[in-house]
Amino acid sequence: MSAPFLEVLATPALNSVQDLGRPGQRRWGIGPTGMVDALALQVGNALLGNAPDAAGLELQLFPVRLRVLRDGAIALTGADCDARLDGRPVPPWWALPVRAGQVLELSPPGATRRDLAAPALRACLSVAGGIDVPEVLGSRATHVRCAFGGLEGRALRAGDVLDAGAAQAPAFRDPAGFGALPPATALPLGDDPEATTVRVIPAAEYPAFTDASHAAFWNDPWRVTIQSDRMGMRLEGTTPLKRAVVQEMRSHGIVCGVVQVPPGGHPIIQLNDGNTAGGYPKMGVVIDPDLWRLAQLPPRRLLRFQRCDLAQARAAALEQEDYLAGLRRLSALSLMTPEAA
Amino acid sequence: MAATKTKAAHNVFELAAPRVTPMGSAACLLEGEGPMCLPTQRRIWAVGRAAGDLKGVTDTQPGMNNLLVLYDPLATEPEALQAQLLALWIATPDTPAPGKLIELVVRYGGDGGEDLEEVARKKSMTPRQVAEMHSSAEYTVFAPGVIPGFGYLFGLPEPLFLPRRDAPVNRPLLLNVFIAGLQCNVSGPPVPGGPQVGPTGWYSLGQLIDAPAPFDLTRDPPGLVEPGDRIRFILDEVLE
Repeated sequence: MSAPFLEVLATPALNSVQDLGRPGQRRWGIGPTGMVDALALQVGNALLGNAPDAAGLELQLFPVRLRVLRDGAIALTGADCDARLDGRPVPPWWALPVRAGQVLELSPPGATRRDLAAPALRACLSVAGGIDVPEVLGSRATHVRCAFGGLEGRALRAGDVLDAGAAQAPAFRDPAGFGALPPATALPLGDDPEATTVRVIPAAEYPAFTDASHAAFWNDPWRVTIQSDRMGMRLEGTTPLKRAVVQEMRSHGIVCGVVQVPPGGHPIIQLNDGNTAGGYPKMGVVIDPDLWRLAQLPPRRLLRFQRCDLAQARAAALEQEDYLAGLRRLSALSLMTPEAA
Repeated sequence: MAATKTKAAHNVFELAAPRVTPMGSAACLLEGEGPMCLPTQRRIWAVGRAAGDLKGVTDTQPGMNNLLVLYDPLATEPEALQAQLLALWIATPDTPAPGKLIELVVRYGGDGGEDLEEVARKKSMTPRQVAEMHSSAEYTVFAPGVIPGFGYLFGLPEPLFLPRRDAPVNRPLLLNVFIAGLQCNVSGPPVPGGPQVGPTGWYSLGQLIDAPAPFDLTRDPPGLVEPGDRIRFILDEVLE
């Protein structure tokens, strides 16, 4: 039922088709991949009435220009990229109808506006029905390292044509579309306006670090370095994190958000394209409901860690579920089913 | 949670009692007690199979005498799951596991074996002695995860023990045979055209000759090895 929907007119490297990732393949050493800002994708899918795990485009380098090939609907979430549809501004966190022939253009976050409400790095483009590429090992996410999934296992390039799944576009009650309260506003966290705050559950080796390291980890701001990508974020601070007793570790499975500390003492946070296993000691792990905050952190931005436990993490997951449920209700009110339209 | 007294043999991490600790909000890590060994790993595999049936568990991944268990935090009680896993560990005996024997031919030293001489120097051995000792052992695939399709190997002879480097170095990825600690693995680009160089704290001893692709979606199963398989490295030549 899918048909060509978008043509890529221009894109830098490193933009790709992603969904919520590829679970259940760890026995082959295949990690999650998927949209780093998974919440942005879930919001886009909620607004368009898509399945929660429908694939979209992860855009992390700009400018990007796309041509719409047939009438349909899109949602733009994640980083505010001063999007323009045929030159007219499209607000961030917005779903709207599009017509064949229209051109969508996205600029680097902050390039045209300095007053961004939140740190911004990666945008997500969702389309009604979801981007349709073949499923590989249960997912449409691009696995660049293994060259499978997504569009031919690679990043997008000019000339690519992307199919979308929906045969019939949803009809909007208001032709201008409708928007979502951004997560940074709906789910605020931390009281340092200069830094992004994420919640961390201490991990197995936490007790092995020195008291000074514990204090620095929780109290100091950590700066994101330019050595950061979809594999992980390297951080630097004023106090390197050291263990009281240094022992040779056993390799073990690791997850997105794990804060590993190599011997130099500068932490690395693992992201979606990272290895499935590692052997560095772990200070803690950023909770899943806060991974989207990491996804939007540009280099040189400051990060703060807030201690959290399993009960608080569960509450955060429920709060995020409530936020998404509200958006699905909003979508149901704002879209007409094709039969009713 | 159980006491976590550790002891140092080669200054390697070792637990006096098993433990389960959170790995964030949607996973936890079960770690077996005692020195790293095959019987413990067979229990890890057995617990991994059983844990897959527990409510809310979405995936499991064995490590080196440990098991990562991923779960949906809204479909289970994380604390209860941790307790269940510890109880499962204690109740699970050493269970024989099937596995196939795989022979891989290695050229030690030269390109892809950049660290052979350094390892020899650190061990007061010749490069050939290191290669012969490394290829004399039979290794067991303990865990997936170095690169797609390959895994972490147990069985490195004790005299070759070396801690990981303090700072990672860049090494070409040519299906190299690496060692670190008491572990061994094969690393490289999983697919043609993958990255040709990568940072690692491990020591590269050599390069596989005529090895099949570690991961190939057109093959069933796609991965070259699975936990429980045994690996023999055949010494092809030593470049000095």
